[in-house]
Formats: sequence, structure tokens, C-alpha cells
Amino acid sequence: MNNIEEKLWDYIDGRCTPEEQNAISALIDEDAGVRLQFEQMLSANTSFTAMELDEPSMAFTYNVMEAIRTENARVPLKAAINKRIIRGIGIFFTVTLLALLVLVITSVRWSAQGLSVNLTAGFKMPAINYSDAKIVVQAFVFFDVMLGLYLFDAYLRKKRAARSV
Amino acid sequence: MQSKLSDAELIAQTLTGNQAAYADLVKRHQRFVFTLALRYAKVREDAEEIAQDSFIKAYRSLASFQGQSKFSTWLYSVVYTTAMTFLRKKRIATDSIDDEHNFVQIENQVSAYDVNTAESKSRSFYLQQAIGQLLPDDAAIITLFYKGEQSLEEIAQAMGMETNTVKVKLFRARQRLKEKLERNLKHEAKELI
Repeated sequence: MNNIEEKLWDYIDGRCTPEEQNAISALIDEDAGVRLQFEQMLSANTSFTAMELDEPSMAFTYNVMEAIRTENARVPLKAAINKRIIRGIGIFFTVTLLALLVLVITSVRWSAQGLSVNLTAGFKMPAINYSDAKIVVQAFVFFDVMLGLYLFDAYLRKKRAARSV
Repeated sequence: MQSKLSDAELIAQTLTGNQAAYADLVKRHQRFVFTLALRYAKVREDAEEIAQDSFIKAYRSLASFQGQSKFSTWLYSVVYTTAMTFLRKKRIATDSIDDEHNFVQIENQVSAYDVNTAESKSRSFYLQQAIGQLLPDDAAIITLFYKGEQSLEEIAQAMGMETNTVKVKLFRARQRLKEKLERNLKHEAKELI
């Protein structure tokens, strides 16, 4: 940077110490060349200050607020759907596992290997019709497989859509 | 009509869920944000997109604004980052931005003006034209300094640079702007400057 020009800009911008300010003032008074340079810079500074700001389109604020509103509306809906799906899947698997557990416990022959301990201790297990239970298990397995295929299909579609963007 | 509340008051209201308060903030700062975006994008449509994205990003991160700097300084740093991301996405090579000689002034920087009208020959027109011929960073620093009411330290913060770097850049930008203004005006420049 040219030293005198830098000092003159600092002087114009008011970034000088009082001592520097006095020194530059004296230099401007004494040196005609510096005075001319200072006047040109001052004039340029006045022109720069008069710079005008550009105006965006009339609908700018509306567009910004609309984009924010749309974004705000989209996020909670997405979150709500996700939570429901996750809860639904969770409940489904919990119920399935519990049902299978009950089925397994009730179908075990506890005395098969000579175990004489009465594990049920007076608790009477629910009577289950095994021919019906088999159908129920098959239905559960079938439903699980279908659900798995559906979710896998949705995942692949999502992946393909993301790749095509 | 714009709100008389301060930026801090409007921010506080926005954070409580009052979107109208944020609309007031947008109205208050949109001209400057748009002008700053135009310094980088050069095309009005792109500049409007950058400005809009900047306000949306600012809204999303408003809670993280701690008020340690002016809201305008923080907002301009968002504009700067958004503009850089936008330009990167548009695959504008960095060297073409840095190389002043290769820099091409394209449409709309002065599109609001008609070169054949008397109005277009105003001081403002020539100044806008000269600013449009500067490097984006130079044009942004000049704009922030003269119209954004930002100190060198605040400009440095907004642009992620050292204060001294900004000082040197401002010095050079003023020289270049003066030269370009003189070149564009030829004889008229002598009356202007």
C-alpha cells in the first residue's frame, strides 16, 4: 500500500489517532501535491457514499415468509408420520413376540425328561387349540414377510428417487 | 410500513413464534442483503435466490444468534456463506472469480437502467457500472463499508477474514473503483471525481 494514500484514507475514515490527524492536516496544508490527492480521494469517497442499494422484487418478503411457512408446515407432519409408523411397528413386534412366547410356553411338555418340579405352581396356562394356533403363527409369519417386502420395496424406491435427483 | 422495534426486539419476538416480526426484519434488511448477493451473483434472479436462501437460513439459526455482534453483521456472514455455496454449486471456477481480467460483467447488474436515457447517465449509474466491474469480494467490501455501516472488524467477521486483510482489500478496492469509474466516464469522470 502507498503509505501516504493509506494515511489519507485513514484520515478520511477517521481511523487516525489525534497525533496522526494533526500531522496529516499539517501535511495537507503544506504540500500542494498531497492536498490535490486528498481532494480527489475525498471526492471519490463522497461518490462511493452516494452508492444506491438495489431493490429486490416486490414479492420478495412474501416469498421468504411463504418458504418459511411451507418449511415449518412440512417438518412437523413428517415427524408425526414417522413416529406413528415407528410406534406401530414396535407394538406389532411386541405383540407378536409375546404371542409366540405364550405359545411356546404352553406347548412345552415340562415333564418330558422326568422333571418332577411343578413349574406352573398352580398357575393354569390358557388353553390353546393347537390347530388354530398353527394358522395364527402362519398368518403372523406371512404378515411379517409381506411387511418386510413392502418396507424393502419402499426403501429401494426411495433410494432410486434420491439417485435420479 | 416497517416496524420501529430494534433488531434485537424483533428477534426476541420471532423466537417466541411471531413470524410477522421476522417479516419486519426481512423488510428492513432485504435491500442490503439483495445488493450484497448481487455483488456475487451478478444476475438478479440468482441474487434473489441467494438473498432468499440467506433469510431462510438465518431464520433457522436465529436461536443460535447470541447478540454478541450486530444482527446485520451476523446476517451478512450468512449471505456471504450462502453466496459462496451458491457459486460453488453453479460450478463457477474459483480462478475465474479471482482473475479480474477474465471476469466478465454479465446481465442485469445495471439492468434497471437504460443506457440511452438521460437518467442512466447519472452519477449512480456510472458508479453501479464500475462496482459491477470489480471483483466480487472487492465489490462486497465496498458495499459493506459504505452502505452496510460495518466497521473493518465487522466486515472481517462477516467475511471470515483478518481485519488487516480487509483493510488492504478495501484500500485496493477503492483504488480500482476510482480507476474504473474514471475509465467508464472518460471526460465525465473529471466532473464527478
